[in-house]
Amino acid sequence: MSNDSNEHSLGRIATGVPGLDDVLKGGLWRGAVYILRGTPGAGKTILANQMCFHHARQGGRSLFVTLLAENHARMLQHLEQMSFYDAQVIPKQIYYISAFRVLEENGLKGMMDLLRREMRAHEATLLILDGLIAVEETSTSDREFRKFIHELQAHASTADCCTLLLTNGRRGEYHPEHTMVDGLITLEDIPYGKRRQSELEVRKFRGSASLRGRHPFRITDDGLVIFPRPESRFMRTVSAAPEKKLSTGVSQLDAMLDGGILEGTSTLVLGASGTGKTSLGAAFLSRSSKAEPGLHFGFYESPERLISNAAGIGVDLKTPAAAKLLEFRWQPPFERILDSVGNDLIDAVRRRKVKRLFIDGWGALASIAESPERLPLFVAAVFNELRALGVTTLCAAETDNLMGPTITVPANGISAINENMILLRFAEYEARLRRLISITKIRGASFDPSLREFTISSRGIELENNFASAEQILSGFGRKTPNKPTRKKSAKPTKARRGRG
Amino acid sequence: MLTVLIVDDEFGVAEVLQSILEDEGYRVVTAINGKQGLARLAEVTPDLVMLDYMMPIMDGTKTLAAIRNDGAYANLPVIMMSSLDEATVRDSTTQYTTFLRKPFRAAAVIALVSKLISERPAR
Repeated sequence: MSNDSNEHSLGRIATGVPGLDDVLKGGLWRGAVYILRGTPGAGKTILANQMCFHHARQGGRSLFVTLLAENHARMLQHLEQMSFYDAQVIPKQIYYISAFRVLEENGLKGMMDLLRREMRAHEATLLILDGLIAVEETSTSDREFRKFIHELQAHASTADCCTLLLTNGRRGEYHPEHTMVDGLITLEDIPYGKRRQSELEVRKFRGSASLRGRHPFRITDDGLVIFPRPESRFMRTVSAAPEKKLSTGVSQLDAMLDGGILEGTSTLVLGASGTGKTSLGAAFLSRSSKAEPGLHFGFYESPERLISNAAGIGVDLKTPAAAKLLEFRWQPPFERILDSVGNDLIDAVRRRKVKRLFIDGWGALASIAESPERLPLFVAAVFNELRALGVTTLCAAETDNLMGPTITVPANGISAINENMILLRFAEYEARLRRLISITKIRGASFDPSLREFTISSRGIELENNFASAEQILSGFGRKTPNKPTRKKSAKPTKARRGRG
Repeated sequence: MLTVLIVDDEFGVAEVLQSILEDEGYRVVTAINGKQGLARLAEVTPDLVMLDYMMPIMDGTKTLAAIRNDGAYANLPVIMMSSLDEATVRDSTTQYTTFLRKPFRAAAVIALVSKLISERPAR
């Protein structure tokens, strides 16, 4: 017969802090002791209070004990501005006390007695101790401080009370108490050029895996919002090979693609400014339907302007948008957090079960990224999740050179991330600037590799004949092939070839 | 000399109140929880009590109930102090003389203490 008295302590306490429970894979453990370390102003007190109010909404009780920290009146005045604050739950479900004078007068033992009694008196299942540094400074030795932590762990465990110790950890990196507690969470403010970014890291978490690495966060009117790193969050493997094809919205391009783009793949639409990347994206999204809901995820143009510009080239985005078959998420790329953008994208896709996605574009993501090295990894993680969700993605990426023999891809590894690549270029030919389209890569399907001219007019995007009669088009400055007719009117696409699987 | 008893657990609050009131010529005695406050009350027989609402060991509501249960202190002026609004405090007690919301300004405290002490019934 089982007599497992620890059974009650195996449950979790959700923090209720957006993103943090994802990072912790479910929340903190009941009866466990955690250290929350961060510099002054990092957001420790807000995060702890956010947890208390969430815990109260779940029916739990919290005891918030301050030492040498912000006074209660000021703290509550600030908290009143936060959306999670609810005066109704104080003092019955959240009780604030100060223990500094007890610590001063009665030392660590008096402090421990106070905590133990108050945890019991208020039936607390969540204890916050704000100002652990004061306990550390009162301790006469590391050993005495560790004993305090050890005893607190024992009381927290028997009372089934999850305990969070807030400290600024000014002693540097070595903290003997870190080896004792069940978890260590740090809040830091990291400079990236002229910008600073707040980041949370779970350095230690007993009893469960957690999302590794530093996760950016913001302090908002709703409290802290954590944006789990997509690289650690989205790690699903996609095994099923796609079969269905989706129309690009341009019938001649579909023909070149042997029926369209493979479902669940990502396609990089590479080209200089003005070559027609956004127009191609608009054509793709104009085919949004109930079975294939669309999403325009952009940074540059407002939805109104996109709809209007698309209408100007005969592409109707207004109708699917009005029917809620197409959503626009527009977010100017200033002072954004890359992880927030990635999570927002995936959330928007999941919410509407999006199947057609156009991201406009890579350049904005690059400008948001903290470092150029991070972007390919970030995009690989996000695209992998999109693949797992069965989303067919077109992503616009701008090349620097308007014309010329070379094409500069905007980042290393960009080709490996995308299954498909469509190249849009300008070329001068017969004293006219022409737009050219070519499919340079399709993974796992056949395609027509020929170079085609295309036009963008009020009739939309139309592909014209091959440049069978010209040479050096890809240099940007084509010339006629000797002894050949200038242009074939109805040339058929060249024989399709199959890309690598 | 008029005596004020301040009962508050929070470091800084009692210290600030003590210095403000001592500057005005009051004798000030402090305690860090209700239990300690009741012990001080018996020792010094104050002219006024400033009592915090949320405290460890014994909170403001229980402390005030104990004060009022003693016939000798039925009319003792008691200022209940809290960071919470008065409506919340009134849910658990109405036995105080007046309410003071934290954070407060020195001038308001001095005026309130002076007014309540001058209006208190003769012992």
